[in-house]
Amino acid sequence: MSLAPAHVAGAGMVRFGKYPADVTLERMAAGAARAALADAGADLGQVDGLYVGHVFGGPVAGQRVAAQVGLDGRPVSNHENYCASGATAVREAWVALAAGLHDVVLVIGVEKMTDRISGGVRPDPGDLDAAVGYVMAAGHAMSARRYMADHGATREQIAAVAVKNHAHSVHNPFAQYRKPISLEQVLGARQIAEPLGLLDCSPISDGAAAVVLCSPAGLRRLGLSGPVPRVLGVGLVSGAVQTGLGDLNAEDVSRRAGEEAWKLSGVGPDEIDLVEMHDCFTIAEVVRMEGLGLVPHGRGAAWAADGHTALGGRLPVNPSGGLLSRGHPVGATGAAQVCELTWQLRGTAGGRQVDGARTALAYCKGGTVNGTDGGSVTTVVMAR
Amino acid sequence: MPPTNTSDASAPVRTRPFREGLVSLEPPRLLGSRCGACATATFPPREFCPACRAVEGLEKTELDRRGRIHSFTVVRQAPPGVAVPYVLAWVDLPADQVRLMSTVVGAEPEAVELGLPVELELTPFATGEDGAELLGFRFRVIDGEENA
Repeated sequence: MSLAPAHVAGAGMVRFGKYPADVTLERMAAGAARAALADAGADLGQVDGLYVGHVFGGPVAGQRVAAQVGLDGRPVSNHENYCASGATAVREAWVALAAGLHDVVLVIGVEKMTDRISGGVRPDPGDLDAAVGYVMAAGHAMSARRYMADHGATREQIAAVAVKNHAHSVHNPFAQYRKPISLEQVLGARQIAEPLGLLDCSPISDGAAAVVLCSPAGLRRLGLSGPVPRVLGVGLVSGAVQTGLGDLNAEDVSRRAGEEAWKLSGVGPDEIDLVEMHDCFTIAEVVRMEGLGLVPHGRGAAWAADGHTALGGRLPVNPSGGLLSRGHPVGATGAAQVCELTWQLRGTAGGRQVDGARTALAYCKGGTVNGTDGGSVTTVVMAR
Repeated sequence: MPPTNTSDASAPVRTRPFREGLVSLEPPRLLGSRCGACATATFPPREFCPACRAVEGLEKTELDRRGRIHSFTVVRQAPPGVAVPYVLAWVDLPADQVRLMSTVVGAEPEAVELGLPVELELTPFATGEDGAELLGFRFRVIDGEENA
């Protein structure tokens, strides 16, 4: 079964970063929403519904945003899948459009973190991992140590992911960080969870991103006639309970998310021109690209160090700067990835443009669950 | 909601498992489940077998207390209220083919390495509303000079 694509009529963001407390979740979301609506040339009266992804926004955050934007009264739903919340909202909007329920919808990913999260994120207190002392950085650090032992990869190769992504975001006006960093800076940064240091970790950020998604009838309603980038499909899988003593970096959850993406979109992995990858930590970009089958098993860190995943390389990963450098307001990230793919597929990404980009993938992974290989994973496939 | 203790209503409850069925106190063991159909063991115990999806024939089982470090990290930054540094590890229990996450004590962080043998001990995870210690688990590095 294949569902009809969703057309991306507009995309907009507020720059990710650390904002004062009075720059509220509602204010950021409204800013991104207005930017996306303006980009689509859409009036408030043309929007059928609102899909909002967030994690820490509290009850009915989406409705609070709707009342700020002027979309009050419309159907609004809130979507929480931890760091895949924004992408999950995109998926639900895509399904609603394909089902014929709506023709023009607004999807917002938003998060206000800097006034409520410090020292790193951790699982829900009800999860056994929380009692054991798990923090997200620790899980990725254990992944990195095992990866180095199993594949002969070096600390420097893993650190190269951060250097690459910071170099990319120099060209991204919506990125939290826009300065290049050196390998020496990554290696010399304060240790967070060994072997990972501060610059191996995405920051705690505020921000919002939004897209206007349409059916063909919705495009006509907005008066759009030319081709616009399309969301061909959005895969969603969850972590599975693990048994046995297998490869810690098997990334079966990423493999399954990739297979969902190819099945739903009709696109094959060989057709992907660029990837926005959930690099919450340097090593995460490496093992997830391998899990998807887009980089040979055990070669991802070497690929980063050799420039194969940089702009101009054989498969550019995170031209936006990724989570490491664009920033990671968790519920906003999936929507920001779709904004980036939209700009890349339009050919309007400026200094970070991937030449000739026709087909692209965005991957988010949200949360952890004790005993499994992850919480939620989304895979968005887009084409121009 | 603390589990009901029926042993002696007048005596104060000193210790009990952090969660019912997670550990046994005497002797100190992790409690898992084992599938009667395919023999796969899991920790913590589950009501289904993650390997073959059986929902019947699962039995509680005490897991081997000896393990080895499959991977580890030294956590040097954590949310407020969590003392750092500490060693967090993936611990493999080869006898049961179970891998679990646990803190590891008994060695300087610099001395921890892949493959190091460790053994289970119980440790408070929290304090109950009645003041009881709620016992969870951690692993201790086995001193190579002793037969622990």
